[in-house]
Amino acid sequence: MHLGTPWGLEVILYLFLAGMGAGTITASASMLLRGGGGDGQYFSIARYGALVGPFPVVIGTVLLIFELGRPFRALNLYKVINLSPMSLGSWFLAFFIIISIIYALLFLPWPQWKGKRLSAWRRRLAWVCVPSGLSVAIYTGVLLGAMPSRPFWNSPIIAMLFMISAISTGMALIIFTRALFYKVHLDVPTEERSWHGSGYVLAATDVLLIGFELLVLFLLLMFAHLTVGSVKYAVEIILPGGELAVFFWVGVVLLGLVIPGIIEMFFVAPKLLYGGHYTAPRSIDIVVPLAVMVGGYLLRYVIVMAGQLTGPVGL
Amino acid sequence: MKEQDKTPDDRRGFVMALGGAIATAFAAIGSIILPGSAAASLLDDEDENDSEKVGVKVQYGMVIDVRRCIGCHACTVACKSEFDVPPGVNRSWVEYTEKGQYPNVGRSFLPRLCNHCSEPLCVDVCPTNATYRREQDGIIAVDHGVCIACKYCMHACPYDARFLDPVNEWVDKCDFCIHRVSKGLAPSCVNTCVGGARIFGNLADPDSAVSMLIASNRVSVLRSEMGTFPNVYYIDADFTDEVDRRRPEVREVRVITHRRHKERT
Amino acid sequence: MINRRNVLKLGATTAIGVPLLKTKKARAHQVEYEAGRDYAYLSGTERDPVATTCALCPSRCAAIAYKENDYVVKIEGNPASKRTMGKLCAKGQAGVNQIYDPDRILTPLKRKGKRGEGKWEKISWDTALEEITDRLKKMRDQGEPEKFMFHHGWISASADRLINKVFLPAYGTGTVASNSCLGQSARLTAHELTWGGYEDSWDFENTRYVLNFGSNVMEAHTNHVALSRRLSIAQVDRNVKMVTFDVRLSNTGSKSDVWIQIQPGTDCAVVLAMCHVIMSEELYRGAGEEFLAFCQVTPDPNASTAEKVRALKDHLASFTPEWAEGISGVPAKQIREITVEFANTRPACVISSRGVSAQHNGVQAERAIQMLAAITGNIDNPGGRCLGVLPEWHYPTGPEEKPAVRKLDILNGFEGESVLAAHDIGHQVFNMIKEGSAGRPEVYMWYNYNPVFSNGNSQRNIDILKDESLIPFTVAVTPFYDESAALADLILPDAMYLECFDFEDGISPDQIAEYAIRQPVVPPSGEARDFKDVCCELAERMEFPLGFDSAEAFVEQTCNLTPVTKKVGGFNAMTTLGVRSDQEAKPTFYSYKKLINEEQLNKEGIIFDEASGVFWNWQQAGVQSEQDAIKQGYRHSPDAHKGYVAQKIGDKVYSGFKPARTNKSGYFEIYSSTLIEKGLPALPVYTSIPEHKELKDNELILTTFRVNVQTLSRTQNCKWLDEIDVENDHGWINPKTAKALDLSDGDWVKLKTDLGEIKTHIIVTHNVVPGVIAISSHGGRWEYGRYASGKKAPYGIELQAPYDSLMWWENEKAHPNWVIDNVSEPISGQQRWMDTVVTVSKA
Ligand SMILES: Nc1nc2c(c(=O)[nH]1)N[C@H]1C(S)=C(S)[C@@H](COP(=O)(O)OP(=O)(O)OC[C@H]3O[C@@H](n4cnc5c(=O)[nH]c(N)nc54)[C@H](O)[C@@H]3O)O[C@H]1N2
Ligand SMILES: Nc1nc2c(c(=O)[nH]1)N[C@H]1C(S)=C(S)[C@@H](COP(=O)(O)OP(=O)(O)OC[C@H]3O[C@@H](n4cnc5c(=O)[nH]c(N)nc54)[C@H](O)[C@@H]3O)O[C@H]1N2
Ligand code: SF4
Ligand code: SF4
Ligand code: SF4
Ligand code: SF4
Ligand code: SF4
Ligand SMILES: [Mo]
Repeated sequence: MHLGTPWGLEVILYLFLAGMGAGTITASASMLLRGGGGDGQYFSIARYGALVGPFPVVIGTVLLIFELGRPFRALNLYKVINLSPMSLGSWFLAFFIIISIIYALLFLPWPQWKGKRLSAWRRRLAWVCVPSGLSVAIYTGVLLGAMPSRPFWNSPIIAMLFMISAISTGMALIIFTRALFYKVHLDVPTEERSWHGSGYVLAATDVLLIGFELLVLFLLLMFAHLTVGSVKYAVEIILPGGELAVFFWVGVVLLGLVIPGIIEMFFVAPKLLYGGHYTAPRSIDIVVPLAVMVGGYLLRYVIVMAGQLTGPVGL
Repeated sequence: MKEQDKTPDDRRGFVMALGGAIATAFAAIGSIILPGSAAASLLDDEDENDSEKVGVKVQYGMVIDVRRCIGCHACTVACKSEFDVPPGVNRSWVEYTEKGQYPNVGRSFLPRLCNHCSEPLCVDVCPTNATYRREQDGIIAVDHGVCIACKYCMHACPYDARFLDPVNEWVDKCDFCIHRVSKGLAPSCVNTCVGGARIFGNLADPDSAVSMLIASNRVSVLRSEMGTFPNVYYIDADFTDEVDRRRPEVREVRVITHRRHKERT
Repeated sequence: MINRRNVLKLGATTAIGVPLLKTKKARAHQVEYEAGRDYAYLSGTERDPVATTCALCPSRCAAIAYKENDYVVKIEGNPASKRTMGKLCAKGQAGVNQIYDPDRILTPLKRKGKRGEGKWEKISWDTALEEITDRLKKMRDQGEPEKFMFHHGWISASADRLINKVFLPAYGTGTVASNSCLGQSARLTAHELTWGGYEDSWDFENTRYVLNFGSNVMEAHTNHVALSRRLSIAQVDRNVKMVTFDVRLSNTGSKSDVWIQIQPGTDCAVVLAMCHVIMSEELYRGAGEEFLAFCQVTPDPNASTAEKVRALKDHLASFTPEWAEGISGVPAKQIREITVEFANTRPACVISSRGVSAQHNGVQAERAIQMLAAITGNIDNPGGRCLGVLPEWHYPTGPEEKPAVRKLDILNGFEGESVLAAHDIGHQVFNMIKEGSAGRPEVYMWYNYNPVFSNGNSQRNIDILKDESLIPFTVAVTPFYDESAALADLILPDAMYLECFDFEDGISPDQIAEYAIRQPVVPPSGEARDFKDVCCELAERMEFPLGFDSAEAFVEQTCNLTPVTKKVGGFNAMTTLGVRSDQEAKPTFYSYKKLINEEQLNKEGIIFDEASGVFWNWQQAGVQSEQDAIKQGYRHSPDAHKGYVAQKIGDKVYSGFKPARTNKSGYFEIYSSTLIEKGLPALPVYTSIPEHKELKDNELILTTFRVNVQTLSRTQNCKWLDEIDVENDHGWINPKTAKALDLSDGDWVKLKTDLGEIKTHIIVTHNVVPGVIAISSHGGRWEYGRYASGKKAPYGIELQAPYDSLMWWENEKAHPNWVIDNVSEPISGQQRWMDTVVTVSKA
């Protein structure tokens, strides 16, 4: 660990995993609501998301607690609530973990429950999952953005970036899980349609998010370029020649955004532009989301590190 | 972008997301903020403290008269021994700034410690209220029993005044020697300051030594643009920083922090 | 041990000028902060104070040590000390680290295997003392007590009295050497030649201008806290201007208004040029002219002031600023400007230290500086360069009957090594032992001293000390496993200063003597014993009891015998106070101007010496008869200065400048009657450093210097200091020099002399003059425990996590003494630390 970087890999992993998990659940819940809550292509997406989503959040949280050195003291977080983003975030997080686990449980087969009642509850919970998932996704960025003493972080756009990246990586996690576990019979036309249909929804959303993320990154760099002083100097760390430039440009931008964006665009474009067919091989559904997730992790890494390695200039 | 606008599915997802975010914001604003539970520390006994005098406001503060500082580090070590601060971390330290080109060179000293800010960013971010401002004297203190070592405050402090105590695993910093000042003793670093550069007292009292010094000298605080309103004032501090190397006329600047952290952050 | 309330009560009454101690005022809303108390940080319970005195450098500052559960946890200044004004430096406070050094030696150790092999066994004190007694007694009984050599570094005043003035003479050996050749002997000699007394003090309380040649008073000095505190006050509160000549930017230089870069070893030329300007521009008029009446400037003690002025002008005529510029690199214009400013600001204080004196021309440079102060009237005046005032302890002198002291002739260096050698030349002792013609000690014991590390030519020191055929038995007396202790046959674990009784005699910066004692804050750790107690026991075992059986008894009797301390209540009061100065005394200035009356001269044995104008007592000088005394005259009777009484100046008789070690007159001798007899120029002149005359491109001058957070080889086991000191692991090189040698910042370089080579990495900095490489004298330790060298000492304690993993600094520093030879300044025998020529190349 760098001296002067109090937050190490555990925290970075946490920020990534919690964001991704929150994104997964949010995506799952919105898909569920979009599909009306019933069966169908949206439902299967929602189901994957719901079942896989809590894991990263819980794993990330456990990592975080153990990073504190004295894990039991973490309970002190829940003795108060104040305006600290971390305090609010912890409450959100706790709430979200509970909600997301219940939400996930509802996707398990419960023979004694009638399907109708189950899906009604799923829908109700989905309404809670979307805002609470977004809260968690945003808070990881607000957490960093709250401090003038960290010029690299201190802008509202970091929260935006983290939120978009959270949903994008969440989406990627769904695509990835689906590609791994979905037993699809492509020779059955309905199944084929549903597979590619849901695949298209996922990929298209992902492209959109990637586009937004690139836009937000562009704004971040652009405003850093246009300002003077601390922020300008801080951003130099990711500009060519900076300490984290390679991570940023190769890892985050190329591997995590541009390449997956281009590939997905390649498959999405026919349907999007001229109503053609969307067909993507399973291997693409494995490799592309992996790249997005790695990129998402590297984004957290670069931003958390850059913020810690740079400070206000002058005395 | 235009093309994407055509996909109603996605737009809908987005609007929802936005709605969620706004709802969250409302929730945050509306949430009732519970009063801080920063347990009064064991040390808050005020037998000989200013604060005990009824009706008088106390805001402790320090003036560091850099003209008097000889860079001797006696303060650093006094503080280390007062609190048995472990190796590698400091509540107090003295930076040297060297600048200029032979033969026109200089070295200046900058004693550092927590500024006990009036708008302390560290307090703002502390999720547990472990870091709090003492009403009776304005000292920013850390309640070690409550601190969860999340290190958030270490980031928030613009002065790098905080550290993780590697032995006790809590976050710590200068506390203006509460245990001494509450008994009418000067802080340890002030007590030993060989140059007499550190002067401590009640800023709320216009007749105190510190107030008088502030009134009659050109004083400054560090990083005032941060809006923290430090209560540690400097007379004749040298604000040259390594970043000034970018200026053609002061290329040669070397800041020696005399800490494990070589950089001044 | 002592009652805190009493400390405060008694302390408060002595606290003149210590505002912190004032009782709280009625002003309700303003707290006046006190000192002299402390509380535990976590529990809030009061810490237990014991008044004592720091011993981590020769300054010896009064301190209060605080205990918690019988552990020393904190040390701070004693607010009752007028010297230090209640302050303690960084090192002083780190004493807490030293006492609990995990590598401390806590039992007597006897070597197993070969000397220096690092194998030890623990033995009992009884066994250890039996072995020493056997050896010492045998030599004493055989009439060869001089074969017991005792060599020490700086030691407490009471250790000096008890060991050097009582124990060793009672035993019969005079083969005793100190470390003064390493530090101050050139300065002391120059002072002895000019004003007789040897410790100078600088009156910053009253001065208006400070002119500094090679002193790093803000970081070092043998009276560091007292002087740096006052200097800082003078600079800020009274706007006192300060000009510093140094080869590098020390903190003293950086706190000065001007740092003047000077070529190494050339200060003397600049000083002479300044004297030239003062004389030629008539700047001596006034105070300088007045003071000249008390100076000897020509062979004639009765010369008029006009004659003296003439002589000075003649002597200085050729030493123009332009001449000095050619030598020193200091622009002539600047020399003139500073001279005029300095001479016109009165009183001014000329200060100096080892930057000018630990050089080939040290004594001359220091004498020139004395001359500069003299001709501007800045000698022993308020605000000037004064004769140091220190306490006069009256101590028990031991057995009435002492044997005639015998000594080996190995203390003054080789034939012709130095002209005066009024102080021993300890740095040549090993070489003299090796050479062997003057005999060799059988037992070599050292105390508060690290000969292997602190002298030049470390390798040869090691080789000689290791050689059992040269020195049969070696004993180290130290609490710590240093580089020399590693080569001992026997290590006696001394008690640390926080565990001892002592009295001290530090110089007072305000010209009023301050009496300080030291007492155990805690009992000695492990089996450590105060060596002073051990000396009492050894005397007992050898059947010449000293009349007191412990250091405590010795200090007690001394406190009760000494008027100032007796008056406050003797030893008991002193253990509460820690420090006390004479309440009635006024600052001592112009001590030479005391008029001596007829009555004082009409005493048995006092005669007048026409040639020098000195009244002296031939009886006290050990001359056989008055006849002899008159025949030989004052100058030529061997110990005449011991009988010095007064100096006749014009038609008055003054106390004058009392000689200390040579038969100088009572004049302030700018013209040295001693040197002229040795065939040397009587007035100060400049001699260039022979080795510097022709330097090759890759040859630089190696300068060594002190750092504010370390004392020479004493404090590197203090983690609180080591972690501040990490920045000092580099050799300083000017960018111009670096460029010429194709070196860049952070490079590793080799420094080579005939003795060998060392490696260090460099910092390319504008804070050092071109042609020089400056390295601190504290680094590069290869023993002294884990914090200093990364190496555990024998029987060192295993530390528990997490503390052992918290040692984050590296011990990569270089020690310069591997490449600096033992070479003497030719008049005094002072070791030359600042002028070694080294070949530098990229490593
Ligand atoms: N290169 C270079 N070398 C120099 C100098 C320089 O300027 N440059 N300066 C020289 C000068 S001025 C001096 S004075 C000498 C100083 O050198 P020394 O006289 O050797 O003194 P120190 O190095 O301070 O301490 C010597 C040893 O005393 C021991 N010691 C510490 N505390 C105690 C104690 O309580 N009791 C006992 N018995 N022993 C103790 C430690 O083992 C330590 O190693 O060094 C000289 N060496
Ligand atoms: N912190 C600390 N204090 C100490 C000690 C210690 O070890 N550490 N040791 C004590 C002892 S034993 C002593 S003897 C004193 C020593 O006290 P000082 O003599 O004041 O200290 P030094 O740093 O050895 O040397 C003084 C300065 O001389 C400069 N110098 C070198 N060559 C030249 C030159 O040619 N011309 C000029 N003008 N300057 C030159 C050096 O750069 C250095 O800054 O300090 C005492 N106090
Ligand atoms: S200096 Fe830093 S730690 Fe101290 S009060 Fe201000 S923000 Fe908080
Ligand atoms: S580390 Fe401790 S004091 Fe700092 S923000 Fe976290 S809980 Fe508060
Ligand atoms: S006031 Fe106390 S805690 Fe703060 S720097 Fe000074 S000694 Fe350390
Ligand atoms: S003790 Fe005082 S003079 Fe020394 S470095 Fe600290 S502030 Fe400066
Ligand atoms: S100057 Fe020397 S004696 Fe005084 S406190 Fe510092 S180390 Fe101790
Ligand atoms: Mo010395």
